[in-house]
Order: sequence, then C-alpha cells, then structure tokens
Amino acid sequence: MSAALAPVRLLGATGLRALRGAGALALVFARTLLHLPRLNLRELGRAVVLFGYQSLPLTLGVGTLIGATVVLQAGVYAEKFGARQYTGWAAGYSVLWEFGPMLMGLVMAARIGARNAAELALLKVNGQIEGLRGISLDPFGLLVAPRVVASALCVTALASLTFFVAIGWEAISAYFTLHLPVRTFLGSFADMIHLGDLLGGLIKSFAFGAAISLVSTAAGLQAEGGARGVGRAAASAVVRSCAAIFVLDFLLTPPLARLLG
Amino acid sequence: MNWVRTAGAPVILLWRTLLAVRRSGLSWRECLVQLVELGTRSAWLVGGGLAFFGTVMVTIAYAQARKYTGNITVVGPAYFELMVREFAPLTAALLAASRGGAGSSAELAAMSVNEQIEALELSAADPLAELVAPRVVASVIALPCLVTIGLVCSTLAAVATVTYVFGADGRSFMDARFVGLGAISCAATKAVLCGLYIPAAASVRGLRARNGAAAVGEAVTAGVVDATMGCLLIDFAVAAAFLLMGV
Repeated sequence: MSAALAPVRLLGATGLRALRGAGALALVFARTLLHLPRLNLRELGRAVVLFGYQSLPLTLGVGTLIGATVVLQAGVYAEKFGARQYTGWAAGYSVLWEFGPMLMGLVMAARIGARNAAELALLKVNGQIEGLRGISLDPFGLLVAPRVVASALCVTALASLTFFVAIGWEAISAYFTLHLPVRTFLGSFADMIHLGDLLGGLIKSFAFGAAISLVSTAAGLQAEGGARGVGRAAASAVVRSCAAIFVLDFLLTPPLARLLG
Repeated sequence: MNWVRTAGAPVILLWRTLLAVRRSGLSWRECLVQLVELGTRSAWLVGGGLAFFGTVMVTIAYAQARKYTGNITVVGPAYFELMVREFAPLTAALLAASRGGAGSSAELAAMSVNEQIEALELSAADPLAELVAPRVVASVIALPCLVTIGLVCSTLAAVATVTYVFGADGRSFMDARFVGLGAISCAATKAVLCGLYIPAAASVRGLRARNGAAAVGEAVTAGVVDATMGCLLIDFAVAAAFLLMGV
C-alpha cells in the first residue's frame, strides 16, 4: 500500500514545493511593488554599488569573450557561404537578441543571485531580519525592495555595456580572423540592425535582472540553519535564477520578435 | 594578475588531486554518488533549458529569414552544426557550472567552516582524494552526457517549433550534412575541459572558506562565477584552437 502510494506522495510533495516557491515569489514581488513609492535611497545606492559597480570587470570580461567567440563561429559560415560582408549583421544581431542578454543573465545569476541570496540568508539565520521587525522596521522596505530595483537596473545597464564591448570585440576579431575591415563590419551592422533589436535585448535583460533578484531574495529569506543553510540558499538561488532566465527567454522572445524584430 | 591567479588555482588543484589519488586511491562509490548529484540532478535543468533555447533560436532565425531569404529551412543544417559545435556544449557547461559548481562549493565551504575538512586530515584521510577527486571524475563523465541530452532536447524543440508553429519542414534543423568529425571533437573537447574545470573551480573556493556562515555565501558566489567564467574562456580557447587547426 505504502509503495503504491509513493508516486502520489512524491507528486504531492513536488506540487507543494512548487506552490510554496511560487507563493514566496509572489509575496516578494507584491511587497516590493508596495514599497516602490518609498524606496530607501541609501540602501538602493549601496545595492547599485554592490551589484553594478563591483560587477564591471566581470561584465567587460563577458563582453570580450562573447564578442570574440561569436565572430569565430560566425566566421566559419561567412567563409563557407561567401557572405563575409554580412558578418556584422549576423554577429551583432545574435549578440543583441540572444547571446548578450542570456549569457550576461547566466553570469549575473551567479554573481548577483548568489550574493544577494547569501547576504539575506545570513541575516535570516543570524536572526537580524527578526531583529529589524522587533524594532518596527519592515525588512522588505529596507532590504528587499531596493535590491530588486537595483538588480533589475544594474543588469540592464551592464547588458548595454556588454553589447557595446561585445560588438567592439566582434569588429576587432573579424578584422584579424576574416580580414574584414572594421568599416565594412560596422557598416553592415548599422544598415541591417534597428533600434528595435537593441530594445528587444534591453527588455529581456531588464526582465532577467528582475527575475534574478526576486528568485534570489525568495531563496535567501527561506534559509534555515547555520552555514549549511546559507550555502544551500545561495546555491538554489543560482539554479532557480538560471531556470527562470530560460523560461523568461522562451516567453518573451516570440512576442518581442513580432513587435520589434 | 588576479585573473591569472583565479584561473590558475583550479589547474593547480587538479594536479594536486591527481597526485593525491595516486597516493590514496579513489573511492568509486563516492564517484557514483557525485555522478548522481552532478549528472542526474542537472539533467532536467540542462534538458529543459536547452529545449527552451532551441525554440528561441529558431524563432529568432525565423524572424530574420522571413525578412531576408523568405525560407527558414535554408539555415537548418548550419544551425544544427552550430548547435553541435558551440551552443550545446557552452549552454550545458554554463548550466552545469551553476548547478554543480554552486552545490559543490556550498557543500565544501560548509564542511570547511565546520572544521570537517580538518577532522578528515586528522583521521589520515586526504580531502583532495576523498572529496575533490570523485567530483572531478563524476563531472568529466557527466558533462559530455549532459551536452548530448541538451543537444537532443534543443534539436527536438527546434524541429517541433519549425514544423508545427511556422509550418515549414523542420527536419532540416536536424540535417547533419555539415557536422563532421571536427565539430564533434570540438564539442567533446569543450565538454571534457569544462567537466574538469567546474568542480576544480568550485572546490578551490569551497576549501578556502573560513570563519562562519558569511564565508560560505562568499565561497558559493565566487565558486560559481569562477566556474562560469572558466567555461566561457575554455569555449573561446577551444573554438580558436580548432579554427587555427582549420578543423
């Protein structure tokens, strides 16, 4: 009887876990929205430095690697199909629409998501969140809302920097690997890429940033038990953020491509 | 200089782990446990993620093909080769770095701050052979399998999207006419190297963690970032090497 019920029990436990996760996310989202009009600017500034400014070297590294790798791969087909002059369009379009936002999102899920979850989890397991409540301060207004806003803004800003750096490196790589003049590369980029393409990438990046902060905040606030709990919260924030990025990419790209592409 | 140190530390740890395994042997049982942890439990993330990714890629390709060539099936064989050579290995590696890297660094960091690593050393066991080596072996075996799972899922998703959503012949998106030994060996090299690097990068940060819960959080953040950046770097280096070799 017990063995026969095992799949039902597993299904029920999975369903309950999913519902609990969705509920936690919805709570964080709703309470962040409620606190938006009276955002703590000092905490927002601190979060912008933590998430944005301190991630600048990483962003430059990601942009460089994305740009150089995309041209290496695109160059193979440009040579094969005799379409060297379209390299700027193909490489630029793929960076703006997909690789820039997605790869940047995955790296930021690791950098911002894990850091945010670890910091909140630490406050939670040390009882500091309860302490804030004890002195009549709302932890959501003070800690959570500024982080969600800062994360969404920082990921969008860092993504635009990544686009810029990646396209610069694409032009340089195309010059050295395909002997394609930088003017020709940027010419095909400027002729065939529109403002809507840039906007599509930025909207996706903003959504990824908001998702990373919501998911990591929910994971951090659910942490329990000492060092192991902090580690588990940070690890699960990264995994859930990555899953959220893929789902959002899937949901957002078709309508955005129809509207802006 | 800092970047060189960050990228080099996992390589040194791998070398020391190899020496430790030669001295103390390897627990195959622990390798199997880690294989389940890193491989089986990451499969849903990699399979699901790559299925979504495949759908998104053909949607983007369709938007451009409609404008410039009018026929999406033309890009199918090139898409499949690019998926084999570049997207499947890189995306699977990044997801494995998130799942496996975060899990390993969190576990090792928690053991480190709770002084369990020192307890292992006091009982004459080598933490590198006991804890790091099984993770490395499991990851090297798991990553090529995860890349294959990801490739199958993304290809099926792309074929289904083109066939049922865009009403074109989706089979061109699994046309392997451009996929040669070069593309397969490029993908396999990336998978194996990332498989070696991810647990090493996560272990370096995990084993270095000291002083309380804050250090565990920092170790997880740094471990996943190092593993992710390492995968991007390996992807670029292997792609460049194969291009230089003309493969």
